[in-house]
Amino acid sequence: MEVEIRLEPHRQEPKVVILAGEESEELLRLAESLRSLAMGPIPVNRGEEKLLLPQGEFLRFYTDGKGVSAQTAQEVYGVHLRLYELEERLDQTGFVRISNSEIINLDRVTAVDLSLSGTICMTLDGAVKSYVSRRYVKKIKETLNLGRRSQNEKR
Amino acid sequence: MRRDKRVWLVRVLAGGVLGVLAGALFFFYTEGSQEMSPAVYGLCAALGGAAGIATLPFADDGRSLLLHSGIHFAVTSFLFLLLAAQLWSWEDWKVLLVLEGMLALLYALVWLGRWIGWYMEVVQLRTLLGLDAGPSPLKWRETLPYLPFVLLLCDCLPLLLYWMDDRVNQGSFIYIPVLSGMLLPFMLLPVGGFFAGLSLGKRQGVCPLYPAACLVCYLPMLYVTSSARLFHCFMAAVPALTGNVLGWMYRRAVPKRRTSR
Repeated sequence: MEVEIRLEPHRQEPKVVILAGEESEELLRLAESLRSLAMGPIPVNRGEEKLLLPQGEFLRFYTDGKGVSAQTAQEVYGVHLRLYELEERLDQTGFVRISNSEIINLDRVTAVDLSLSGTICMTLDGAVKSYVSRRYVKKIKETLNLGRRSQNEKR
Repeated sequence: MRRDKRVWLVRVLAGGVLGVLAGALFFFYTEGSQEMSPAVYGLCAALGGAAGIATLPFADDGRSLLLHSGIHFAVTSFLFLLLAAQLWSWEDWKVLLVLEGMLALLYALVWLGRWIGWYMEVVQLRTLLGLDAGPSPLKWRETLPYLPFVLLLCDCLPLLLYWMDDRVNQGSFIYIPVLSGMLLPFMLLPVGGFFAGLSLGKRQGVCPLYPAACLVCYLPMLYVTSSARLFHCFMAAVPALTGNVLGWMYRRAVPKRRTSR
């Protein structure tokens, strides 16, 4: 199989075109695995059980001293990946690191509040509270601006 | 970490040098040809160093921010007190107290400015997330509808009662301001401030500008009427704050009662 890489300086997201004589199972598998590279499900553990959950289901990923945990609206799972590895695998426009110990899903933020002591608190799905480190505010704004731009481009 | 320490050191040194220069200029301007003592030089340098790192605690969050900011204020006010005592004297404790009060006010203003900056950032985040922008900074816009009442309570009513007292006491030997000196500060100001604060708290939560407005709006009365006293300002502001906080607590408690049913 020939692999060719063409660079387009103004392109923001890579686009893969597969040229083939006819459709086959391998071809579909290849296309699917390429697609899953960017928005692939995340492997999590529920006790001994290993699961693959789509990214959109997660509210947040956080470290609590024992390891990395992933929280959905229903329950909390264990994750074997580290936070920086998760950062690379997660959708860059939907997930953002808000402190040294937490990555949140921006699509699930329902409220943002500021306390008198200057602590920024984000509420996820109306129930889960996450605290933003001020050092990450600039990055969050950049991510949100990026997400907005790409949404506008899709429109 | 090393970079942080270097930043601290550079700021302390630069602040120290600027502090000595500012101190020398101030001393030259106020004392003429007299030379500064080594103790004053040292205190100016230390105070300048403390001012140089004044903004660094704001990079932290929550408890560490409060702790670092509190420590910085304690150290700065101590150095400032020592320097002021060198320039005046410990016997002029009233002057020293006023200067310390001014420093505390400056700190409070810097904090307020910083907080409003953070709040604007939060508003920006809310907008980018497609959420409601939320209340205005310090809820000034939400407090605005209560301002006419505050003006009525703290300015119009005292003037009216003072005028009535004046009319009643015309021709009498002893001037007794029953309305403006007794009924107003001990009954009308606390009750009016409290219930309006309660209503505001129930509607909008804690609005710190409301009690502040009560205090500030009564201040002109000190110069306009002879029966007004400084403590009257607090007779309006403290119940206003209490009512506002109680209203906010009621607002928080009611939804809980609803959900628990």
